[in-house]
Amino acid sequence: MPLWKLSFAFVAFVCYLAASCEAQKTKDMLLSEKVQQLVDWTSRRSVIRLNGDKFRRYIKSPPRNYSVVVMFTALEPQRQCVVCRHASEEMQILANSWRYSGSFSSRLFFAMVDFDEGPDVFQQLNMNSAPTFMHFPPKGKPRRADTFDLQRNGIMAEQLAKWITDRTEVVLRVFRPPNYSGAVALMLLMTLVGGLLFLRRNNLDFLYNKTGWGIALLCIVFAMTSGQMWNHIRGPPYAHKNPQTGQVAYIHGSSQAQFVAETHIVILLNAAITLGMILLHDAASGMGDASKRKILCLVGLGLVVFFFSFLLSIFRSKYSGYPYSFLIK
Amino acid sequence: MARLGMLRLSHEKQDTLLKLLILSMAAVLSFSTRLFSVLRFESVIHEFDPYFNYRTTRFLTEEGFYKFHNWFDDRAWYPLGRIIGGTIYPGLMVTSALFYHILHFLHVTIEIRNVCVFLAPLFSSFTTILTYHLTKELKDAGAGLVAAVMVAIVPGYISRSVAGSYDNEGIAIFCMLLTYYTWIQAVRTGSLYWSAFCSLAYFYMVSSWGGYVFLINLIPLHVLALMATGRFSHRVYVAYSTLYCLGTVLSMQVAFVGFQPVQSSEHMAALGVFALCQAFAAYSWLRSSLTPALAELLLRSFMWLLLIAGSIAVAILALSGKISPWTGRFYSLLDPSYAKNNIPIIASVSEHQPTTWSSYYFDLQFLVFMFPVGLHYCFSNLSDSRIFIILYGVTSMYFSAVMVRLMLVLAPVMCVLSGVGVSHVLTSYMSNLELGRALSRTRSRRHPDHSYPGKQEVSSAVVLFLSFFLMTYTFHSTWVTSEAYSSPSIVLSARSPDGSRIIFDDFREAYYWLRHNTPQDAKVMSWWDYGYQITAMANRTILVDNNTWNNTHISRVGQAMSSPEEKAYEIMRELDVGYVLVIFGGLTGYSSDDINKFLWMVRIGGSTETGSHIHENDYYTPTGEFRVDRDGSPTLLNCLMYKMCYYRFGQVYTEAKRPPGYDRVRNAEIGNKDFELDVLDEAYTTEHWLVRIYKVWRCKMMPIMYTLGCGDYVIDLMVV
Repeated sequence: MPLWKLSFAFVAFVCYLAASCEAQKTKDMLLSEKVQQLVDWTSRRSVIRLNGDKFRRYIKSPPRNYSVVVMFTALEPQRQCVVCRHASEEMQILANSWRYSGSFSSRLFFAMVDFDEGPDVFQQLNMNSAPTFMHFPPKGKPRRADTFDLQRNGIMAEQLAKWITDRTEVVLRVFRPPNYSGAVALMLLMTLVGGLLFLRRNNLDFLYNKTGWGIALLCIVFAMTSGQMWNHIRGPPYAHKNPQTGQVAYIHGSSQAQFVAETHIVILLNAAITLGMILLHDAASGMGDASKRKILCLVGLGLVVFFFSFLLSIFRSKYSGYPYSFLIK
Repeated sequence: MARLGMLRLSHEKQDTLLKLLILSMAAVLSFSTRLFSVLRFESVIHEFDPYFNYRTTRFLTEEGFYKFHNWFDDRAWYPLGRIIGGTIYPGLMVTSALFYHILHFLHVTIEIRNVCVFLAPLFSSFTTILTYHLTKELKDAGAGLVAAVMVAIVPGYISRSVAGSYDNEGIAIFCMLLTYYTWIQAVRTGSLYWSAFCSLAYFYMVSSWGGYVFLINLIPLHVLALMATGRFSHRVYVAYSTLYCLGTVLSMQVAFVGFQPVQSSEHMAALGVFALCQAFAAYSWLRSSLTPALAELLLRSFMWLLLIAGSIAVAILALSGKISPWTGRFYSLLDPSYAKNNIPIIASVSEHQPTTWSSYYFDLQFLVFMFPVGLHYCFSNLSDSRIFIILYGVTSMYFSAVMVRLMLVLAPVMCVLSGVGVSHVLTSYMSNLELGRALSRTRSRRHPDHSYPGKQEVSSAVVLFLSFFLMTYTFHSTWVTSEAYSSPSIVLSARSPDGSRIIFDDFREAYYWLRHNTPQDAKVMSWWDYGYQITAMANRTILVDNNTWNNTHISRVGQAMSSPEEKAYEIMRELDVGYVLVIFGGLTGYSSDDINKFLWMVRIGGSTETGSHIHENDYYTPTGEFRVDRDGSPTLLNCLMYKMCYYRFGQVYTEAKRPPGYDRVRNAEIGNKDFELDVLDEAYTTEHWLVRIYKVWRCKMMPIMYTLGCGDYVIDLMVV
């Protein structure tokens, strides 16, 4: 009797083992199938496009032995998400760098879910802003740090790579395809200028036109003194609109920054003051009708005095504690 | 009364006397306006880099030039050390050593520190005189005087040349203007004398500042412009050929420059123009002895040959990797935003920022509008030297817009051209003013026939307003100098509630404490900002300093600062650190202290392999804030930097109606108050707690948990 019991137990145990083995086998098969599918997709496009079903099957549900970085985004034109397009480009660069790097393996995949293809995913994850980057680790659920902090880190591929390295210990080197647009634009400009010179090769006097050169140089000077280079490098907004009151501020309150509108005002003021000075200068030394020169002279003086005091008042508003003012407070 | 004195002199002599008087007053003014900080504090070297220059100068005067040239400094970058002789521009140090020796030869026993402090103001006086001569070449003596007075007080230049700011730029502007002046003279006269003098001035410039690259590109540009405008002559040929040959050979004598003048791409423009000069001269010589048809043929065949040879050479060089035309450097020249987007180290340094319109106004005031007037004048009366100044003005305008630091290069040319403009307008109206006076003397006037009613009044108004603008310029410059550019940053000052001035002299207190109370060979660890100051004032060995040449070493220090105590102790033992120095502003409200710089330490510390245990995110609160109070991240509250800054701070009352341990910079009560230091001993804390120094425990005093590690350390030593 005990023997029978024992053998029964044994058989049961064997059966159980076999069953679990079978389960393990199917699990393994499922896993390798999934990985194979993902590798397949990746070889076609480096960022895999997922809809709701695929997302749940390949990313939410176990078994997994791979990390997935998913970008949740809204690329459809009617969504008008400019940042999304930029983020998507960065993601492409990153995924391509990974896809074509020597250390590419099935440890890490890149995928994306568009809002218009899988709104249910967004609902499920309680997500209400795009773009969002999330990392899904091989085991367990994503934690807080598995969501990329866009506010602080920006959307540069290098920052993303750093974050991914932080989360998955996969070392990513971002390779940006060289940008030839600058070189091409330069070539185009040079051929244009060269062509123009060639066409007018019999009459190159316009090159020796002093006034033309003078005006061009003055333009450069005004552009630089009014901070256009700063605008070009920093890209500030045109003006600031206060969301509460709706008031528009054209002048930035601090001396460390400026708005585009502000620089336009300043360029006008600078030019007006200079114009006034040049009028003064020409009225004194030029020939011509006496009364006309007198008027020119007075106009020049007026321009200088008025616009100088105006500029001074703008400057004063930016530098708190600046003690001097003139006419306009 | 004045009549009596003046009458005895002829008009020419009066004229000379007046000019001399104005010029010397301008020179004195330019010296004295830079003395605010000396008067307020004392004769003290400013900031960080000047301390390094001061230390090297002291070494030079004590040890002589050859030892200086071969100097390997073991006091910095322990244990690596740094070669100093071959990695700096020696012009500044040699200049002050020369002054020092001359003065001592004359039995004026001045201290080397005072030579260093007053060198920059002295050289700005020289610059004032030079500006007069330079502007005189462009217009006349009147314009020269106006420009000289302007350059004496222009804030853009003062910012880098106040007493105590002992840096390369202080003398480099003088060298630059000297080179320009001699160049203009050389082009004007075409004499070898001036050209050779110009090369010497250029050599001086090369030996004192890396900005000489601007110069060696500007002069070829001028030559090119002269060629294009058909003004190329034998004078220019002599001047440029001499300058290029002599100047290049001389500049290669500076150890730090070495072979760059014949290798690097920045110097290639000068070489190209030199070759062009030779070709141009050869062609014009041949043309004089050939028939026109033959000359034409020669020119054409030569052009084709040059084109083919040039493209082959470029192709070979590009393929062999000697030159790389499409690298980031090339782009950053064309498109300044490239550097900002792609090279973060450039973006992070405040001196490399672009310039806003308000900082143009701040540094130049009404020169901003007078500059175009001078430009207009130069354009309407072109000459060789005026073309040069136009080119100088516009190129430096571009560079100053890209990088705020280069405002320094722009400021002199602003003064020159504004001087021309102001003087031109003023003289026109001044001569009108004389009309109304009793016409005793018959002078030739330009427009005697075009006078109009009320001319006198209009002219008076114009002159009055221009004088008014000049006065506002003076007030503005003085205010800016006094408020913005005259704080030495080594001694701080603040206003107490009752209006009196409080001086914080904690930095020097701490450095001198180190000097007198630590062993000669003690190694001091601090963040790199304070490296130069510690070596110069405390004379102790440091791990990292402001010459940030080795990122991994800085990163190691960053790791020590941002690790918890046990881990930090390992690193400190590895680096053989004896003392640690931190800057803490929580008691006084000094905001640029080490806690505010701490995130950079974390970032730099975590950027290398050995710092893999440091993650920037660990130092933020879950909401992503950097806080030192109770809500701050535990990693932050237990790292070495936090503990060193806030040790015993929890018992201190800083502000009324606040709990103890209230940090006045972060405006928060600190989160970790009661802790003891396990591996460090507080060695010294300065009067206002600005600097805190800790001693790292040696083996004997080790608590039990570290004995094992320490034993290993001893055994290691014995094996070695």
